[in-house]
Amino acid sequence: MGAPAADRTARPIFAADALAGRRALVTGGTRGIGRAIALALARAGAVVTVTWAARENDAEEAARALAACGEGHGVRRCDVRDRQAVAKLFGDLKEAGGIDVLINNAAITRDAHLMLLADDAWDDVVSTNLTGPFVCTRAALRGMIAKRWGRIVNVISPAALAGKAGAANYAASKGGLLSLTRSLAREVARFGITVNAVCPGIVETPMLEGLPEHVRAAMIAQIPLERTGRPDEIADAVLFLSSGASSYITGAMLAVDGGLVMA
Amino acid sequence: MTDTQDLKQRLKELLITGLRLQDVAPAGIADDQPIFVEGLGLDSIDALELVVLIEEHFGIAIPDEEVGKKAFASINALAEFIAAEQSRA
Repeated sequence: MGAPAADRTARPIFAADALAGRRALVTGGTRGIGRAIALALARAGAVVTVTWAARENDAEEAARALAACGEGHGVRRCDVRDRQAVAKLFGDLKEAGGIDVLINNAAITRDAHLMLLADDAWDDVVSTNLTGPFVCTRAALRGMIAKRWGRIVNVISPAALAGKAGAANYAASKGGLLSLTRSLAREVARFGITVNAVCPGIVETPMLEGLPEHVRAAMIAQIPLERTGRPDEIADAVLFLSSGASSYITGAMLAVDGGLVMA
Repeated sequence: MTDTQDLKQRLKELLITGLRLQDVAPAGIADDQPIFVEGLGLDSIDALELVVLIEEHFGIAIPDEEVGKKAFASINALAEFIAAEQSRA
């Protein structure tokens, strides 16, 4: 018996205009999961800005894909570690009407066992994966409080919950982001702002390419649904938490991992 | 009415409408009473909304907790803070 296939008959549960009139920012939105999230939000009617920091080719391709979803979307170079760049980005976004939906997705890895973990490998990962979301979220909150509506979704990782040997910096940054999610959810709930985390499992992204077959097989053996996830399956969960349909959910962690973690 | 009194009156009205205070009139807010925690039944999270309101109405940023604590100590303190920021601009 083979692995259960993804349900291709699944029909979208959202109206095509679920996010009409909303403006969204997706950090790290030009490839992999971030790209799928950006496209899902755009197809649901949001005006989407995505940021990128490292790969110009991906940015150009993402800009074309977003343009195919409609007008008004933007692709911006902005390293979330660069506070001036983030301030400039949010200044420009404010001029354009502010941000209703923030997806903190940008993240990097610089793996090493902790005893051999260099200072800059720690600093780079924590400043991108944890401080970046802090700075972006702080900048987005004023507009959300003024409108008394907002959606913040932070993309975390099974490493946040279970730890990961050889990636203590990454795991700590994602665990920190989960705690930030829960703390902020308590702070801003009364303003109609929800703050949630999505925890993707093992997803077919450029990060997985080049993985030896036996490593891939060993990973899949840990997943009750017996397959890797697709970026659009993560994006659907993020779309739900970005929409009005999730109005009574805040401080939650939604695992989209085929049953991998169950925490 | 002096400019300062006028500003304090505006701030009290902003507080009442912006933070939707029930059964409170501007005259019921003393100039020297703490705006948050004591007196008006407002907490430190309500202060976040006042930060946004001050920015919207006066174009003055309250960048962090330290500045906010001083500015929100009382209506007197807030009026002084705003006047000082405006004269600096």
